[in-house]
Amino acid sequence: MVLLRSFVPSLGALLLAAGQAAAQGVLIDKSEIRFISRQMGVNVEGRFRRWKANIVFLPKELGRSKADLDVDLASIDLASDESETEVKRPQWFDTGKFPIAKFVSSSIRDLGSDRYEVSGTLTIKGITHDATVPLTLKKDAAGNNLAEGSFTIKRLDYKIGEGEWADPETVANEVIVRVRMVLPPVK
Amino acid sequence: MTLHWLAALLIVGGFTLGLSMVDLPISRQKLQWYAWHKWIGITVFLLACARLGWRARYRAPPPVEMPAWQQRSATISHRLLYALMLVIPVSGWLYSSATGVQVVYLGWVPLPDLVPKHKELAVVLRAVHVTLNFTLLALVCVHTAAALKHHYVDRDSVLTRMLPGSRNP
Repeated sequence: MVLLRSFVPSLGALLLAAGQAAAQGVLIDKSEIRFISRQMGVNVEGRFRRWKANIVFLPKELGRSKADLDVDLASIDLASDESETEVKRPQWFDTGKFPIAKFVSSSIRDLGSDRYEVSGTLTIKGITHDATVPLTLKKDAAGNNLAEGSFTIKRLDYKIGEGEWADPETVANEVIVRVRMVLPPVK
Repeated sequence: MTLHWLAALLIVGGFTLGLSMVDLPISRQKLQWYAWHKWIGITVFLLACARLGWRARYRAPPPVEMPAWQQRSATISHRLLYALMLVIPVSGWLYSSATGVQVVYLGWVPLPDLVPKHKELAVVLRAVHVTLNFTLLALVCVHTAAALKHHYVDRDSVLTRMLPGSRNP
């Protein structure tokens, strides 16, 4: 009972936090994180099935806004089960040791005409580099904010694909990441 | 005739490559073999189109003497062979699109994705592609057996007139 009591307030806090997240967070089912890599001159598309986002977007208070993302790398959706198993191995993502890729925003700039630039750090496989994500904001039919953008990462900067796979002739160094985030309107 | 033998060579090559490549461990070689397999498939499709174009312009040489049922069977199996030469490459292209892998013909001409990436659809399309290919294998066996029967049993010109050096186009 004592245990339960101490649990109840924290549960309340959790619900409250969830409520706030719902007001300002992301509609996960409508949002997506996709990527395109190039294998021997051929575009190969994939996406991540599971990720979490902590996004607060206040167009008039960009200083208080943020966009933090945790991507479950093992949830990757690729061409075949075989390639999904392959990229979880130590040569690629090494998901056993580094299950999560993390983006933490440091600033959001208004570029005008509904374009924004989110700067922050991207950590994959324990390696952190600066990353900048340009986003364009639109309204969808339901009145949600639709933020879309793409940016390029260099996979070798994060040691994704080592050994025989380090050759960019086989798998290109550049990987295009496309994000589409659907944010409910701020109340 | 040249087109027939070129297509035959590519079909046998593409089929064998397809069977062997799927069991390769993921590697540069595997990606290369998949690429070649797709290029061969698209080439077979184009050759089939060229042959149909040729047939539309020039009539097939008259059939040799044979019972009516054999004549009918030959017509049906030839039509089926043409249909499969057109449908199988397209099924492979659809399958590739559904897995999210673009087809770039000869590493040079990017073909549009026919369907968006969709895992469940890819499983179905793979099964369709494989089944059609084994249907083609069966039909090619019948086609070959028929040609050999005409040559060795009936001793007619069905096979020889398809060989290089014969007068027929």
